[in-house]
Amino acid sequence: MTAGSTGEDRCTAAIASLGTSAGRLGRLLAWRTPEEAWAALRAGHHPADPEGSFRTKATAERLARIGAACEACGVRVLRRGSPGYPPALVGDGSGPAVLFALGDPAPAETRPRVALVGTRSASAYGLGVATQWGRQLAEAGVTVVAGLARGVDAAAHEGALAGGTAPVLGILGTAPDAAASRADRLLRGAVADRGAVLSELPPGAGGAAWRFAARNRITAALAHVVVVVEAHRGSGCLGVARAAEERDITVGVVPGSIRNPASAGANQLLADGYGAVVLGVEDVLTAVDLAIARDAAAVAPTRVPEPQTARKRQPAPSAVAARVRLALDGDPVPLDVLIRRTGLPMGQVALGLEHLAGAGMAVGEQGWWSLPQGSG
Amino acid sequence: MLACIPSATLHGVDGRPVAVEVHVSNGIPGFTVVGLPDAAVRESRDRVRAALLSSGLSWPNRRITVNLAPSGERKSGAGLDLPITIGVLIAAGELEAGAVAETAFVGEVGLDGSLRPVPGVIPLVAALRSSIVVVPTACAAEAALVGTGAVRAAETLGELVAALRGRAPWPPVPVVLRRPVAAPGADLSEVRGQEVGRRALEVAAAGGHHLLLVGPPGSGKTMLARRLVGLLPPLAPDEGLEVMRVHSAAGVWGSGGGLPDRPPFRAPHHGSTDVALVGGGTAGLRPGEISLAHRGVLFLDELGEFSTGVLDMLRQPLEEGRIRISRARATVELPARFQLVAAMNPCPCGEGVYPGACRCTEVVRTRYARRLSGPLLDRFDLAVSLSRPAVDDLLGGPPAEASAPVASRVAAARWYAADRGYATNAAVDAGSLDAVAPLSPGAARLLEHRLRSGTLSARGLHRVRRVARTIADLDDGAGMVGEEHVAEALQLRSGRSTLLVESDR
Repeated sequence: MTAGSTGEDRCTAAIASLGTSAGRLGRLLAWRTPEEAWAALRAGHHPADPEGSFRTKATAERLARIGAACEACGVRVLRRGSPGYPPALVGDGSGPAVLFALGDPAPAETRPRVALVGTRSASAYGLGVATQWGRQLAEAGVTVVAGLARGVDAAAHEGALAGGTAPVLGILGTAPDAAASRADRLLRGAVADRGAVLSELPPGAGGAAWRFAARNRITAALAHVVVVVEAHRGSGCLGVARAAEERDITVGVVPGSIRNPASAGANQLLADGYGAVVLGVEDVLTAVDLAIARDAAAVAPTRVPEPQTARKRQPAPSAVAARVRLALDGDPVPLDVLIRRTGLPMGQVALGLEHLAGAGMAVGEQGWWSLPQGSG
Repeated sequence: MLACIPSATLHGVDGRPVAVEVHVSNGIPGFTVVGLPDAAVRESRDRVRAALLSSGLSWPNRRITVNLAPSGERKSGAGLDLPITIGVLIAAGELEAGAVAETAFVGEVGLDGSLRPVPGVIPLVAALRSSIVVVPTACAAEAALVGTGAVRAAETLGELVAALRGRAPWPPVPVVLRRPVAAPGADLSEVRGQEVGRRALEVAAAGGHHLLLVGPPGSGKTMLARRLVGLLPPLAPDEGLEVMRVHSAAGVWGSGGGLPDRPPFRAPHHGSTDVALVGGGTAGLRPGEISLAHRGVLFLDELGEFSTGVLDMLRQPLEEGRIRISRARATVELPARFQLVAAMNPCPCGEGVYPGACRCTEVVRTRYARRLSGPLLDRFDLAVSLSRPAVDDLLGGPPAEASAPVASRVAAARWYAADRGYATNAAVDAGSLDAVAPLSPGAARLLEHRLRSGTLSARGLHRVRRVARTIADLDDGAGMVGEEHVAEALQLRSGRSTLLVESDR
């Protein structure tokens, strides 16, 4: 079923490009066949559009343009009720009436799926967790679902692409062919090759800000478990947690430092009791097992045990380095604070940090220093 | 009758001798100025006429022609009022030509006959070769600093004419120039916390390194920058004269009037135009902020808000210590050997130094970082990121070190550089680094590690070595550059990483 090849697909895409809400789009497409629905919209006598409000927009030019855009990027058109539409969305009351897919979402249907979501302006901590867990989940055979945005989304995708062969799903808030930076386009292509990029909007359609919020429900509904990696207070990705909560999907939250504003929203979720604390990828996999056992609808994941990284406690490279190391903790601090904590002159502290960083015992990011993750 | 009076006009920070020729003849009464005068010179007719009449002298109701030789150069400013007045008096027969033999005049006249100071007296007088120079009393102190001739001064035209006629003694020239007592500037002890920022300031002062301060609003960037001048060694008399020459030409008078002994501190606003910053504009090609900061500190606050064109104009002066301004009619070279201190937010929201606190999107951040061209960013040997001081530091904590002890360490470190034959360590050329700043084995290993891991570029290497030399000088003086000096130099440059976009790293 290649895309845009049939008149049905072209008409579906054209109707989806009209910019209606998902519910109305569902009613427009539910009537007879897409071709007939399109003809009725043009003529102004579609029963779901009695006032003929789409008559002016439903032009032959639009049909040709959207059809050509679908051909150009080779998108699959997945209507609700037709084969290929993700089964996880079938029972969802507010699921999309149609999805446009780059790549093939079918292999992901039988996999356990985990959504890793988080802020665009993530800290090094959030990016590190997203990358590491994305990789470990993929190695364990889990499909990682994320939103193809910068920050946590991109890190989760990159991690998942680097580990194993499990399919990866990316949910777009824009049309599949929408303009994007080079990095975003490369990521989109890589995800489509390893799984599918899904969007509610057909190629060639303009986006809208509310579409980003609307895709949250798709991200949530597709996953067995949603993990909030890092979120500012009021961050858009908290919408995914809300959508998951409504669907009774397990929400895991990675706790963060109370001093890190990029974790404030995630911590608040925990404080309000909306999510379970996940401290490692093991916790996520356990939650997935539980969710699947409950649904009994998908294949249990094939676990790959995490390599046992028995970190040997190395001696610090020098006496000065040892003193500096005592002043470090998991929270990144600027050099000023280290100078005050150690009481050493700046040159000594700088040298200690160089030695520690060389031995992998301290991490410096933009002049802020902390112990590496997993030590201490 | 013809009279010829020597004077001078301003061209950048240099004076150019001008011969003011006045011819009074029979004919239809009138007054013409030829020889490329600017508006201020052309208007001198009305001032001169009123000044003569209010001083009880007569205005020759005849045909007056004033020629400013050499005729091909533009003349600017009101400093030619006085020579024109004297010329008119001689040409009209009111004064004996012999009374002004070998005498040059510079000054503006007021309608009441008073003599007013003009900008650029120092370069103007320096350009004159007459044995006597007459200036308004307000400029006499400045004029006495330079020049070959004796300085005479007068308050009013009446006084001057009486003295020239020999009917009254010359008014006394004010005695110059006690050096002004150094004003107690802002002191470093007022800066709480900020160990890294303070250290960067000390190293910048000791080595003459350009300094970039990156930090969120309220982190004390401006406060630190303003205290750099207090750490720099006082100006030598010849340096003070250079400074005063530029300031005089720009019409910026210091408060004391004497030779400045503190390096100037200029902080132009980020809305400044390119002409305001580098100079030019009027016919006299007035020096800009970078020349006013000559031998001192140029502080550019909110560096990211300056227009990129303006910033890239700084590249030549940063390299050569002077700026060449070429216009269709003239080219001047202005001194601009300044130490650049710049402050900026890490990103438009200002919170970028705190991990995870930035709310800017990546696109906005990248665009902001791109405003600074790589070549300009490369000029900064020191780049530190500051964070807001802790509440405890602001309210209590031990008192911070004052400027005076830091300044004495700076002076000692500068002495080592001078002993090696360099003005500052920042001026050491790359080829001499091995001789000037030999690395200890540990230091060499550290740099090699950084180079191999790609966290230091070849260009950055030279900058780090110069800064490490300065730190070693501050530490104990000459000798090898040790491992901790290099480590500290690397840290004092880490602020760059908050500004560089991924691809530049």
